[in-house]
Amino acid sequence: MKMIEPNFRPTRRAVLTAALGIGVLAALPGVARAGTGGANGSLAFDGDALLSAGGTLSTSTDGGATWSERALPGRVLALATHRDRPGRVVAGLAEGGVGFSEDGGATWRVGTAGLPDGAVNAVAIGSRDPDLIYAAIPGDGLYKSEDAGESWTLAMDRPWLDEAERDPLALVSVDLDTGMGGIWIYAGTETGLTRVPDCFCRWQDVQPGNAMDALVAGDAPPPENPLPAGEPVLSLASSPSSPERLYAALPSGLWASRDGGVVWTQIVEESASAVAVHPEDETYVAAIVGDALKLSRDSGMTWTAAAAK
Amino acid sequence: MRRVAYVSAGVLAVAATGIAVLAQSGSGSESGSDITFLGEPVTAADIAAGKDLYAQSCAACHGAGLEGQPDWKRRLPNGRMPAPPHDETGHTWHHSDRNLFEITKNGVEAVVAGYESDMPAFGAVLTDAEITAVLAYIKSTWPERQRAAQAEVTAQDEGGS
Repeated sequence: MKMIEPNFRPTRRAVLTAALGIGVLAALPGVARAGTGGANGSLAFDGDALLSAGGTLSTSTDGGATWSERALPGRVLALATHRDRPGRVVAGLAEGGVGFSEDGGATWRVGTAGLPDGAVNAVAIGSRDPDLIYAAIPGDGLYKSEDAGESWTLAMDRPWLDEAERDPLALVSVDLDTGMGGIWIYAGTETGLTRVPDCFCRWQDVQPGNAMDALVAGDAPPPENPLPAGEPVLSLASSPSSPERLYAALPSGLWASRDGGVVWTQIVEESASAVAVHPEDETYVAAIVGDALKLSRDSGMTWTAAAAK
Repeated sequence: MRRVAYVSAGVLAVAATGIAVLAQSGSGSESGSDITFLGEPVTAADIAAGKDLYAQSCAACHGAGLEGQPDWKRRLPNGRMPAPPHDETGHTWHHSDRNLFEITKNGVEAVVAGYESDMPAFGAVLTDAEITAVLAYIKSTWPERQRAAQAEVTAQDEGGS
Protein backbone atom coordinates (compact mmCIF):
# COMPACT_ATOMS: atom_id res chain seq x y z
CA MET A 1 0.00 0.00 0.00
CA LYS A 2 1.27 3.43 -0.88
CA MET A 3 1.45 5.81 2.04
CA ILE A 4 0.29 9.39 1.77
CA GLU A 5 3.09 11.92 2.05
CA PRO A 6 2.39 14.21 5.01
CA ASN A 7 4.46 17.17 3.74
CA PHE A 8 2.06 18.82 1.32
CA ARG A 9 3.32 21.40 -1.18
CA PRO A 10 0.26 23.43 -2.11
CA THR A 11 0.16 25.08 -5.51
CA ARG A 12 -0.32 28.82 -5.75
CA ARG A 13 -3.77 28.20 -7.13
CA ALA A 14 -4.64 25.98 -4.21
CA VAL A 15 -3.33 28.50 -1.69
CA LEU A 16 -5.34 31.31 -3.23
CA THR A 17 -8.57 29.36 -3.03
CA ALA A 18 -7.97 27.33 0.09
CA ALA A 19 -9.53 29.82 2.47
CA LEU A 20 -12.73 30.02 0.46
CA GLY A 21 -12.84 26.27 -0.02
CA ILE A 22 -12.35 25.52 3.63
CA GLY A 23 -15.02 28.01 4.56
CA VAL A 24 -17.50 26.47 2.18
CA LEU A 25 -16.75 22.94 3.28
CA ALA A 26 -17.11 23.86 6.92
CA ALA A 27 -20.48 25.44 6.25
CA LEU A 28 -21.94 22.35 4.64
CA PRO A 29 -23.51 19.87 7.03
CA GLY A 30 -22.59 16.63 5.30
CA VAL A 31 -19.02 17.56 4.59
CA ALA A 32 -18.50 19.10 7.97
CA ARG A 33 -19.65 15.93 9.69
CA ALA A 34 -17.25 13.83 7.67
CA GLY A 35 -14.54 16.37 8.27
CA THR A 36 -14.87 16.15 12.02
CA GLY A 37 -14.53 12.39 12.04
CA GLY A 38 -17.94 11.97 13.59
CA ALA A 39 -20.79 10.00 12.06
CA ASN A 40 -19.95 8.36 8.75
CA GLY A 41 -20.92 10.69 5.93
CA SER A 42 -20.56 8.90 2.58
CA LEU A 43 -22.68 6.05 1.23
CA ALA A 44 -22.43 3.53 -1.60
CA PHE A 45 -23.79 0.14 -2.59
CA ASP A 46 -21.31 -2.55 -3.54
CA GLY A 47 -23.73 -5.08 -4.93
CA ASP A 48 -26.10 -5.79 -2.05
CA ALA A 49 -23.59 -4.56 0.52
CA LEU A 50 -24.19 -1.08 1.88
CA LEU A 51 -21.06 0.92 2.68
CA SER A 52 -20.93 3.91 4.97
CA ALA A 53 -17.62 5.71 5.30
CA GLY A 54 -16.10 8.64 7.11
CA GLY A 55 -13.47 8.05 9.76
CA THR A 56 -14.06 4.31 9.42
CA LEU A 57 -15.79 2.07 6.90
CA SER A 58 -18.94 0.27 8.01
CA THR A 59 -20.43 -2.42 5.83
CA SER A 60 -23.76 -4.16 6.04
CA THR A 61 -24.86 -7.11 3.93
CA ASP A 62 -28.27 -7.46 5.52
CA GLY A 63 -29.92 -4.20 4.67
CA GLY A 64 -28.51 -2.24 7.57
CA ALA A 65 -29.52 -4.68 10.32
CA THR A 66 -25.94 -5.46 11.34
CA TRP A 67 -22.63 -3.80 10.56
CA SER A 68 -18.96 -4.68 10.48
CA GLU A 69 -16.09 -2.22 10.70
CA ARG A 70 -13.10 -2.02 8.36
CA ALA A 71 -10.02 0.16 8.29
CA LEU A 72 -9.57 2.95 5.76
CA PRO A 73 -6.43 4.46 4.25
CA GLY A 74 -7.50 7.84 5.60
CA ARG A 75 -10.55 9.88 6.39
CA VAL A 76 -13.05 9.49 3.55
CA LEU A 77 -15.04 12.36 2.05
CA ALA A 78 -16.65 10.46 -0.83
CA LEU A 79 -17.27 6.91 -2.06
CA ALA A 80 -17.95 5.35 -5.45
CA THR A 81 -18.60 1.80 -6.63
CA HIS A 82 -19.48 0.15 -9.95
CA ARG A 83 -22.13 -2.38 -10.82
CA ASP A 84 -19.85 -4.32 -13.18
CA ARG A 85 -16.87 -4.48 -10.83
CA PRO A 86 -18.07 -5.98 -7.53
CA GLY A 87 -15.66 -5.32 -4.71
CA ARG A 88 -14.16 -2.18 -6.24
CA VAL A 89 -14.52 0.75 -3.90
CA VAL A 90 -13.09 4.17 -4.67
CA ALA A 91 -12.67 6.69 -1.86
CA GLY A 92 -11.80 10.37 -1.94
CA LEU A 93 -9.49 11.09 0.97
CA ALA A 94 -9.47 14.20 3.16
CA GLU A 95 -5.68 14.14 3.36
CA GLY A 96 -5.34 13.86 -0.44
CA GLY A 97 -5.27 11.02 -2.92
CA VAL A 98 -7.83 8.44 -3.91
CA GLY A 99 -8.13 5.12 -2.14
CA PHE A 100 -8.85 1.95 -4.11
CA SER A 101 -10.07 -1.37 -2.80
CA GLU A 102 -10.81 -4.42 -4.93
CA ASP A 103 -12.22 -6.49 -2.07
CA GLY A 104 -15.06 -4.42 -0.72
CA GLY A 105 -12.88 -2.32 1.53
CA ALA A 106 -10.84 -5.03 3.24
CA THR A 107 -7.55 -3.79 1.78
CA TRP A 108 -6.58 -0.53 0.12
CA ARG A 109 -4.03 1.17 -2.11
CA VAL A 110 -3.79 4.92 -2.65
CA GLY A 111 -3.34 6.51 -6.06
CA THR A 112 -1.80 9.98 -6.21
CA ALA A 113 0.35 10.05 -9.37
CA GLY A 114 -0.61 13.20 -11.24
CA LEU A 115 -2.99 14.41 -8.56
CA PRO A 116 -2.17 17.70 -6.85
CA ASP A 117 -2.12 17.94 -3.10
CA GLY A 118 -5.36 18.63 -1.37
CA ALA A 119 -8.51 16.92 -0.24
CA VAL A 120 -10.48 14.84 -2.74
CA ASN A 121 -14.02 15.63 -1.80
CA ALA A 122 -15.91 13.96 -4.67
CA VAL A 123 -15.27 10.84 -6.74
CA ALA A 124 -17.11 8.93 -9.47
CA ILE A 125 -16.53 5.87 -11.61
CA GLY A 126 -17.38 5.99 -15.32
CA SER A 127 -20.68 4.19 -15.76
CA ARG A 128 -19.45 2.49 -18.95
CA ASP A 129 -15.87 1.91 -17.83
CA PRO A 130 -15.01 0.86 -14.27
CA ASP A 131 -11.36 1.82 -14.81
CA LEU A 132 -12.32 5.42 -15.58
CA ILE A 133 -12.25 7.38 -12.34
CA TYR A 134 -13.02 11.03 -11.66
CA ALA A 135 -11.88 13.05 -8.65
CA ALA A 136 -12.65 16.62 -7.66
CA ILE A 137 -10.17 18.70 -5.69
CA PRO A 138 -11.50 21.88 -4.02
CA GLY A 139 -9.91 25.04 -5.31
CA ASP A 140 -8.42 23.17 -8.25
CA GLY A 141 -10.48 21.14 -10.68
CA LEU A 142 -11.74 17.82 -11.94
CA TYR A 143 -9.18 15.10 -12.58
CA LYS A 144 -9.56 11.77 -14.33
CA SER A 145 -7.74 8.47 -14.39
CA GLU A 146 -8.19 6.01 -17.22
CA ASP A 147 -6.20 3.26 -15.54
CA ALA A 148 -8.01 2.75 -12.26
CA GLY A 149 -6.04 5.35 -10.40
CA GLU A 150 -2.51 4.53 -11.48
CA SER A 151 -2.16 7.95 -13.12
CA TRP A 152 -4.22 11.14 -13.19
CA THR A 153 -4.58 14.14 -15.50
CA LEU A 154 -6.57 17.34 -15.28
CA ALA A 155 -9.85 16.88 -17.09
CA MET A 156 -11.30 20.35 -16.68
CA ASP A 157 -11.48 23.37 -14.47
CA ARG A 158 -14.27 23.71 -11.93
CA PRO A 159 -17.78 24.63 -13.04
CA TRP A 160 -18.75 28.26 -13.38
CA LEU A 161 -22.03 29.12 -11.69
CA ASP A 162 -23.38 32.48 -10.54
CA GLU A 163 -20.30 34.32 -11.79
CA ALA A 164 -17.74 32.24 -9.92
CA GLU A 165 -15.98 28.91 -10.02
CA ARG A 166 -17.66 26.37 -7.79
CA ASP A 167 -16.24 23.29 -6.16
CA PRO A 168 -17.96 20.03 -6.99
CA LEU A 169 -19.21 18.57 -3.73
CA ALA A 170 -20.58 15.45 -5.41
CA LEU A 171 -19.95 13.69 -8.70
CA VAL A 172 -21.78 10.94 -10.50
CA SER A 173 -21.35 9.42 -13.95
CA VAL A 174 -24.80 9.16 -15.48
CA ASP A 175 -25.25 6.64 -18.26
CA LEU A 176 -27.28 8.91 -20.51
CA ASP A 177 -26.03 9.73 -24.01
CA THR A 178 -24.76 13.24 -24.60
CA GLY A 179 -25.11 12.91 -28.37
CA MET A 180 -21.36 13.37 -28.60
CA GLY A 181 -20.37 9.74 -28.32
CA GLY A 182 -20.25 9.75 -24.55
CA ILE A 183 -22.25 10.18 -21.39
CA TRP A 184 -22.71 12.86 -18.73
CA ILE A 185 -20.94 13.62 -15.49
CA TYR A 186 -23.20 15.44 -13.07
CA ALA A 187 -21.76 17.60 -10.32
CA GLY A 188 -23.38 18.97 -7.22
CA THR A 189 -21.81 22.27 -6.18
CA GLU A 190 -22.30 24.69 -3.33
CA THR A 191 -24.74 26.61 -5.49
CA GLY A 192 -26.53 23.90 -7.40
CA LEU A 193 -26.39 21.20 -10.03
CA THR A 194 -24.43 21.23 -13.27
CA ARG A 195 -23.09 18.67 -15.71
CA VAL A 196 -20.38 18.15 -18.30
CA PRO A 197 -20.10 15.69 -21.19
CA ASP A 198 -17.33 13.16 -20.60
CA CYS A 199 -15.44 14.70 -23.54
CA PHE A 200 -15.19 17.76 -21.26
CA CYS A 201 -16.20 20.39 -23.78
CA ARG A 202 -18.11 22.54 -21.30
CA TRP A 203 -19.98 22.59 -18.02
CA GLN A 204 -23.62 23.36 -18.65
CA ASP A 205 -27.02 23.49 -17.03
CA VAL A 206 -29.22 20.44 -17.05
CA GLN A 207 -31.80 21.05 -19.75
CA PRO A 208 -34.42 18.94 -21.49
CA GLY A 209 -32.95 17.13 -24.46
CA ASN A 210 -35.34 18.84 -26.84
CA ALA A 211 -35.03 22.34 -25.35
CA MET A 212 -33.07 23.77 -28.27
CA ASP A 213 -35.39 22.21 -30.82
CA ALA A 214 -38.37 23.78 -29.08
CA LEU A 215 -36.60 27.14 -29.03
CA VAL A 216 -35.88 26.98 -32.74
CA ALA A 217 -39.40 25.85 -33.54
CA GLY A 218 -40.99 28.50 -31.34
CA ASP A 219 -42.79 25.85 -29.31
CA ALA A 220 -43.46 26.07 -25.61
CA PRO A 221 -40.40 25.00 -23.67
CA PRO A 222 -40.59 21.57 -22.09
CA PRO A 223 -41.46 21.47 -18.37
CA GLU A 224 -38.68 21.92 -15.87
CA ASN A 225 -38.52 21.89 -12.09
CA PRO A 226 -34.91 22.31 -11.05
CA LEU A 227 -33.45 21.80 -7.63
CA PRO A 228 -33.80 24.81 -5.29
CA ALA A 229 -31.71 27.66 -6.63
CA GLY A 230 -28.51 28.46 -4.83
CA GLU A 231 -28.65 25.49 -2.48
CA PRO A 232 -25.66 23.17 -2.12
CA VAL A 233 -25.99 19.72 -3.60
CA LEU A 234 -24.14 17.53 -1.12
CA SER A 235 -24.57 14.12 -2.67
CA LEU A 236 -25.80 12.63 -5.95
CA ALA A 237 -26.74 9.12 -7.00
CA SER A 238 -27.69 7.66 -10.36
CA SER A 239 -29.19 4.24 -10.70
CA PRO A 240 -27.30 2.03 -13.17
CA SER A 241 -30.48 0.04 -13.66
CA SER A 242 -32.41 3.17 -14.61
CA PRO A 243 -29.91 5.96 -15.29
CA GLU A 244 -32.48 8.67 -15.91
CA ARG A 245 -33.46 8.27 -12.26
CA LEU A 246 -31.37 10.51 -10.00
CA TYR A 247 -31.34 11.25 -6.30
CA ALA A 248 -29.85 14.35 -4.65
CA ALA A 249 -29.18 15.18 -1.00
CA LEU A 250 -29.57 18.84 -0.04
CA PRO A 251 -29.98 20.77 3.20
CA SER A 252 -33.64 21.18 2.24
CA GLY A 253 -34.10 17.44 1.96
CA LEU A 254 -33.85 14.55 -0.42
CA TRP A 255 -34.90 15.03 -4.02
CA ALA A 256 -35.55 12.61 -6.88
CA SER A 257 -35.75 12.93 -10.65
CA ARG A 258 -37.04 10.46 -13.21
CA ASP A 259 -35.83 12.31 -16.29
CA GLY A 260 -32.12 12.87 -15.86
CA GLY A 261 -32.41 15.90 -13.62
CA VAL A 262 -34.83 18.17 -15.47
CA VAL A 263 -37.83 17.75 -13.16
CA TRP A 264 -37.12 17.15 -9.47
CA THR A 265 -39.53 16.11 -6.72
CA GLN A 266 -38.84 16.42 -3.01
CA ILE A 267 -39.19 13.03 -1.35
CA VAL A 268 -37.85 13.88 2.14
CA GLU A 269 -38.28 17.26 3.81
CA GLU A 270 -35.56 16.83 6.41
CA SER A 271 -31.94 17.81 5.75
CA ALA A 272 -30.07 15.11 3.84
CA SER A 273 -26.31 14.87 3.43
CA ALA A 274 -25.67 11.61 1.56
CA VAL A 275 -27.55 9.29 -0.77
CA ALA A 276 -26.86 6.04 -2.63
CA VAL A 277 -28.96 3.80 -4.84
CA HIS A 278 -28.74 0.05 -5.34
CA PRO A 279 -27.05 -0.94 -8.62
CA GLU A 280 -29.81 -3.36 -9.67
CA ASP A 281 -32.87 -1.79 -8.04
CA GLU A 282 -33.48 1.89 -8.65
CA THR A 283 -36.15 1.93 -5.94
CA TYR A 284 -33.75 0.83 -3.18
CA VAL A 285 -32.23 3.98 -1.71
CA ALA A 286 -30.02 4.68 1.29
CA ALA A 287 -29.64 8.17 2.69
CA ILE A 288 -28.31 10.04 5.67
CA VAL A 289 -31.26 12.12 6.79
CA GLY A 290 -30.66 14.37 9.74
CA ASP A 291 -28.21 12.30 11.76
CA ALA A 292 -29.69 8.93 10.86
CA LEU A 293 -28.99 6.41 8.12
CA LYS A 294 -32.29 5.45 6.53
CA LEU A 295 -33.34 2.99 3.86
CA SER A 296 -36.21 2.98 1.41
CA ARG A 297 -37.34 0.14 -0.85
CA ASP A 298 -39.94 2.18 -2.69
CA SER A 299 -38.07 5.11 -4.23
CA GLY A 300 -38.28 7.15 -1.07
CA MET A 301 -42.01 6.95 -0.31
CA THR A 302 -41.38 5.16 3.01
CA TRP A 303 -38.23 4.86 5.09
CA THR A 304 -36.83 2.70 7.86
CA ALA A 305 -33.88 3.54 10.07
CA ALA A 306 -30.81 1.32 9.83
CA ALA A 307 -29.51 -0.27 13.00
CA ALA A 308 -26.93 1.66 14.97
CA LYS A 309 -23.38 0.92 13.90
CA MET B 1 -10.29 42.94 -27.35
CA ARG B 2 -10.23 39.24 -28.15
CA ARG B 3 -13.66 39.45 -29.70
CA VAL B 4 -12.61 42.37 -31.87
CA ALA B 5 -9.54 40.50 -33.00
CA TYR B 6 -11.61 37.45 -33.84
CA VAL B 7 -14.02 39.33 -36.04
CA SER B 8 -11.41 41.51 -37.65
CA ALA B 9 -9.31 38.53 -38.57
CA GLY B 10 -12.36 36.78 -39.93
CA VAL B 11 -13.39 39.72 -42.09
CA LEU B 12 -9.95 40.02 -43.57
CA ALA B 13 -9.88 36.32 -44.20
CA VAL B 14 -13.02 36.35 -46.28
CA ALA B 15 -11.70 38.72 -48.88
CA ALA B 16 -8.68 36.62 -49.64
CA THR B 17 -9.48 33.04 -48.91
CA GLY B 18 -13.20 33.07 -49.55
CA ILE B 19 -12.51 33.97 -53.13
CA ALA B 20 -10.03 31.15 -53.31
CA VAL B 21 -12.62 28.65 -52.08
CA LEU B 22 -15.12 29.74 -54.68
CA ALA B 23 -12.50 29.73 -57.39
CA GLN B 24 -11.38 26.24 -56.51
CA SER B 25 -14.93 24.96 -56.20
CA GLY B 26 -15.69 26.28 -59.60
CA SER B 27 -12.49 25.09 -61.20
CA GLY B 28 -13.75 21.61 -61.64
CA SER B 29 -11.00 20.22 -59.46
CA GLU B 30 -12.32 16.95 -58.15
CA SER B 31 -9.20 15.68 -56.48
CA GLY B 32 -10.57 13.14 -54.07
CA SER B 33 -10.25 12.93 -50.31
CA ASP B 34 -11.75 10.48 -47.90
CA ILE B 35 -13.36 13.29 -45.92
CA THR B 36 -17.06 13.99 -45.95
CA PHE B 37 -18.95 16.79 -44.26
CA LEU B 38 -22.68 16.72 -43.62
CA GLY B 39 -22.80 13.68 -45.82
CA GLU B 40 -21.18 15.33 -48.81
CA PRO B 41 -17.72 14.45 -50.12
CA VAL B 42 -15.03 17.07 -49.70
CA THR B 43 -12.32 17.56 -52.30
CA ALA B 44 -8.63 17.97 -51.60
CA ALA B 45 -8.91 21.50 -52.98
CA ASP B 46 -11.62 22.31 -50.45
CA ILE B 47 -9.41 21.03 -47.67
CA ALA B 48 -6.49 23.12 -48.88
CA ALA B 49 -8.71 26.18 -48.98
CA GLY B 50 -9.98 25.30 -45.54
CA LYS B 51 -6.42 25.18 -44.27
CA ASP B 52 -5.84 28.72 -45.50
CA LEU B 53 -9.10 29.91 -44.00
CA TYR B 54 -8.22 28.26 -40.72
CA ALA B 55 -4.84 30.00 -40.65
CA GLN B 56 -6.45 33.37 -41.20
CA SER B 57 -9.66 33.08 -39.19
CA CYS B 58 -9.06 30.52 -36.46
CA ALA B 59 -5.37 29.98 -35.76
CA ALA B 60 -4.95 33.16 -33.73
CA CYS B 61 -6.89 31.54 -30.92
CA HIS B 62 -6.97 27.82 -31.68
CA GLY B 63 -3.30 27.68 -32.65
CA ALA B 64 -1.48 27.37 -35.95
CA GLY B 65 -1.05 23.68 -35.29
CA LEU B 66 -4.57 23.28 -33.92
CA GLU B 67 -3.06 23.01 -30.46
CA GLY B 68 -5.40 25.43 -28.70
CA GLN B 69 -4.51 28.12 -26.22
CA PRO B 70 -2.01 27.35 -23.47
CA ASP B 71 -3.52 25.80 -20.35
CA TRP B 72 -6.82 25.51 -22.20
CA LYS B 73 -8.46 23.41 -19.50
CA ARG B 74 -8.13 26.27 -17.02
CA ARG B 75 -10.72 29.00 -16.96
CA LEU B 76 -9.84 32.59 -17.96
CA PRO B 77 -10.27 35.42 -15.44
CA ASN B 78 -13.55 36.35 -17.13
CA GLY B 79 -14.97 32.93 -16.35
CA ARG B 80 -14.85 31.71 -19.93
CA MET B 81 -12.77 28.83 -21.19
CA PRO B 82 -9.76 29.35 -23.48
CA ALA B 83 -9.92 28.23 -27.09
CA PRO B 84 -9.50 24.44 -27.07
CA PRO B 85 -7.32 22.49 -29.47
CA HIS B 86 -8.86 21.14 -32.64
CA ASP B 87 -6.40 18.28 -32.93
CA GLU B 88 -6.95 14.86 -31.44
CA THR B 89 -6.05 16.08 -27.94
CA GLY B 90 -9.14 18.26 -27.78
CA HIS B 91 -12.84 17.49 -27.84
CA THR B 92 -13.79 18.78 -31.29
CA TRP B 93 -13.98 15.24 -32.64
CA HIS B 94 -16.69 14.42 -30.10
CA HIS B 95 -19.10 16.70 -31.91
CA SER B 96 -21.19 15.85 -34.96
CA ASP B 97 -20.78 17.63 -38.29
CA ARG B 98 -24.05 19.47 -37.75
CA ASN B 99 -23.03 20.50 -34.25
CA LEU B 100 -19.63 21.79 -35.41
CA PHE B 101 -21.24 23.71 -38.23
CA GLU B 102 -23.83 25.29 -35.91
CA ILE B 103 -21.21 26.30 -33.33
CA THR B 104 -19.01 27.88 -36.00
CA LYS B 105 -21.77 29.66 -37.82
CA ASN B 106 -24.04 30.69 -34.95
CA GLY B 107 -21.88 30.43 -31.84
CA VAL B 108 -21.75 27.98 -28.96
CA GLU B 109 -25.01 29.36 -27.64
CA ALA B 110 -26.71 27.88 -30.68
CA VAL B 111 -26.22 24.43 -29.20
CA VAL B 112 -26.00 25.23 -25.47
CA ALA B 113 -28.47 27.92 -24.47
CA GLY B 114 -27.01 30.59 -22.24
CA TYR B 115 -23.42 29.44 -22.60
CA GLU B 116 -20.94 32.33 -22.75
CA SER B 117 -17.93 31.93 -24.98
CA ASP B 118 -15.24 34.21 -26.34
CA MET B 119 -15.72 32.64 -29.76
CA PRO B 120 -18.07 34.70 -31.90
CA ALA B 121 -20.53 33.40 -34.43
CA PHE B 122 -18.83 33.32 -37.82
CA GLY B 123 -22.01 33.34 -39.85
CA ALA B 124 -21.51 36.98 -40.81
CA VAL B 125 -17.87 36.44 -41.62
CA LEU B 126 -17.64 33.14 -43.44
CA THR B 127 -19.98 31.61 -45.97
CA ASP B 128 -21.44 28.18 -45.40
CA ALA B 129 -19.00 26.79 -47.96
CA GLU B 130 -16.07 28.37 -46.17
CA ILE B 131 -17.18 27.05 -42.80
CA THR B 132 -17.50 23.62 -44.33
CA ALA B 133 -14.01 23.91 -45.82
CA VAL B 134 -12.47 24.91 -42.49
CA LEU B 135 -14.16 22.05 -40.65
CA ALA B 136 -13.22 19.59 -43.37
CA TYR B 137 -9.60 20.68 -43.02
CA ILE B 138 -9.74 20.14 -39.26
CA LYS B 139 -11.25 16.69 -39.79
CA SER B 140 -8.52 15.82 -42.25
CA THR B 141 -5.86 16.26 -39.56
CA TRP B 142 -7.34 13.71 -37.16
CA PRO B 143 -5.93 10.22 -36.79
CA GLU B 144 -8.15 7.40 -37.96
CA ARG B 145 -9.48 6.55 -34.52
CA GLN B 146 -10.76 10.08 -33.88
CA ARG B 147 -12.10 10.37 -37.41
CA ALA B 148 -14.01 7.12 -37.07
CA ALA B 149 -15.39 8.13 -33.68
CA GLN B 150 -16.55 11.47 -35.04
CA ALA B 151 -18.16 9.76 -38.02
CA GLU B 152 -20.09 7.59 -35.59
CA VAL B 153 -21.24 10.64 -33.61
CA THR B 154 -22.32 12.31 -36.84
CA ALA B 155 -24.21 9.21 -37.95
CA GLN B 156 -26.07 9.08 -34.65
CA ASP B 157 -26.89 12.76 -34.63
CA GLU B 158 -30.61 12.89 -35.20
CA GLY B 159 -31.22 16.56 -34.89
CA GLY B 160 -29.87 17.45 -31.51
CA SER B 161 -26.78 16.88 -29.47
